[in-house]
Amino acid sequence: MAPYGSVALYLCVALAAALLFTVLPGLLAKPKPNAHKDEAYECGVEPTSSVSGRFPVRFYLIAMLFVVFDVEAASFYPWAVQMHALRMFGLLEMAVFVVVLGIGYAYVWKKGGFSWR
Amino acid sequence: MIANPTTQVDWNGIAPIITIAVTALVVPFADLFARTHAKRWVAILIGGLGTLLAAGLCAQQYGSTGTVFGGAFALGGFTVVFEEIVLLALFGSLLLFATTMQERRVGGSVALMLWSACGALLMAGASNLMTVFLGIELLSLALYCLCGMNDRPASRESALKYLVLSSTASGFMLLGMALLFGASGSVALSSLTLGGLATSSFLWSGSALFFVGLAFKMSLAPFHAWSPDVYEGAPMPVTAFMSVATKAATLAVLARFLYAALPTGMSSAFLLPIWILAGLSMLVGNLGMLAQTDLKRLLAYSGVAQAGYLLVALAGTTALGLRYAIYYLVAYAIMNLGAFSVAAALSDEKEAGSALSAYHALASRRPYLAAMMSLFLLALAGLPPTAGFLGKILLLSTGVATGYWWLAVLLILGTAISLFAYAKIIRAMYARPDGKAQPELPVAPWPAMISIALYGIALVVMTFYPLTPSNIVPFVR
Repeated sequence: MAPYGSVALYLCVALAAALLFTVLPGLLAKPKPNAHKDEAYECGVEPTSSVSGRFPVRFYLIAMLFVVFDVEAASFYPWAVQMHALRMFGLLEMAVFVVVLGIGYAYVWKKGGFSWR
Repeated sequence: MIANPTTQVDWNGIAPIITIAVTALVVPFADLFARTHAKRWVAILIGGLGTLLAAGLCAQQYGSTGTVFGGAFALGGFTVVFEEIVLLALFGSLLLFATTMQERRVGGSVALMLWSACGALLMAGASNLMTVFLGIELLSLALYCLCGMNDRPASRESALKYLVLSSTASGFMLLGMALLFGASGSVALSSLTLGGLATSSFLWSGSALFFVGLAFKMSLAPFHAWSPDVYEGAPMPVTAFMSVATKAATLAVLARFLYAALPTGMSSAFLLPIWILAGLSMLVGNLGMLAQTDLKRLLAYSGVAQAGYLLVALAGTTALGLRYAIYYLVAYAIMNLGAFSVAAALSDEKEAGSALSAYHALASRRPYLAAMMSLFLLALAGLPPTAGFLGKILLLSTGVATGYWWLAVLLILGTAISLFAYAKIIRAMYARPDGKAQPELPVAPWPAMISIALYGIALVVMTFYPLTPSNIVPFVR
């Protein structure tokens, strides 16, 4: 248990700091709301539109598809570094990985996931 | 230089899982090229064949022992039995796609269900914490998507609820696993068995959080609140799969933990909270059933209670108790699949068979389906001549023999309460038609009808030939 004492201390400090920063301002500061304070902050420029704008749901689709290929690239990297050590086994593993991904790619493509309707 | 990893790989050990995974890749691919009106049956056929092949490969491993992948996956009878139960649930649920769900979504749904089954199969043999978590997440991630595979708003609600609540439970479980790792210094379940760990506060707190995660997945009260809502919103094949495969796979993890991965000399107070949860589930589940107007919600509460019954058999952690639990689990799988099959046979894409009002005077319109539904409900209630009856007798006997008589009392009490809820449906099915115009009933294809008959026959036959596998004590090394 002893080696974890510092972890416990860290947790306590983190909790105390978080509480301090969120509770103290409410106790000390006097709230003086006005319309300008409620505006979105755009580096001092007059805000031109509402902050929570609307955008099409297809952005989410693109974002999700992007994540898939992003993760793919991230998985390739460690394999590429250790390619000689992993030899044929690593190559085959990566081939399987690419085939699995390729089937997903083909599925999305054929279903029209990449077309910007 | 890294040691050649191929020497540690035993592909035979996970051949069933690989088979299901490959099938899961073939199904969406075939779906792309199948003709529009053939998509549904192409997906069901390929999925079904893959499942049968996996079941065959799995059965061949019954006698094998030891672990593969550096202790990550244990072979042996225990793993095989739970894998076969998951595959049974998978096969039965795939058949339900024949009547429910829109044609264009069947291919993707079948593929996701196969992936989900992969996770459940992994859990059946998981012998280190990483594999347990990998299995649970693979099972759950696919299920989140599957729950939303319907156009009803309730379906989306169910997917979101399941995602948020289940992720929270996974968080608890991960923290528990981290603490268990802190206790033993290894992710292998076998490293927890050291006697010195029996009093470790990390082991106690870690196990507590680990059990919270498992209790959520198994929908034990008081962690059951998600299941009625999620079951109701999810498409019918998904609900059927979820109610059997998730419970079976989680029970496998729990049983392996209780039987093989506890430190020697552990006090029995350590496990008491689990049995209290079991008792609570029997009460909450059966009482919750009384007020339901939707079959899927009713079966969700029923599932809460059945999970409690199953744990009664494990209470003494005897090998015999585990055999009885497996017997009851198989019976539960069959009667649940049966009830869902009848509901699916009364449904099209809109799933009208999910509302209990659809069963009013069913006997005069579909006598065969009404009779089979009565059989499945009687089995769920635990009446003879069904496997539900014998299963409950076995659970009671092991509960009493191991000294957990208070669980046995709760089991009897719960059964008495549940009888009212099940009998209400049967009475409605055999009521006289009230003259009001009823919506037209769909005609289910013959494979659905045959599968319902097979479930019924299996339930009766299992009563007279109560076979339980003998080679089922789990191990972790």
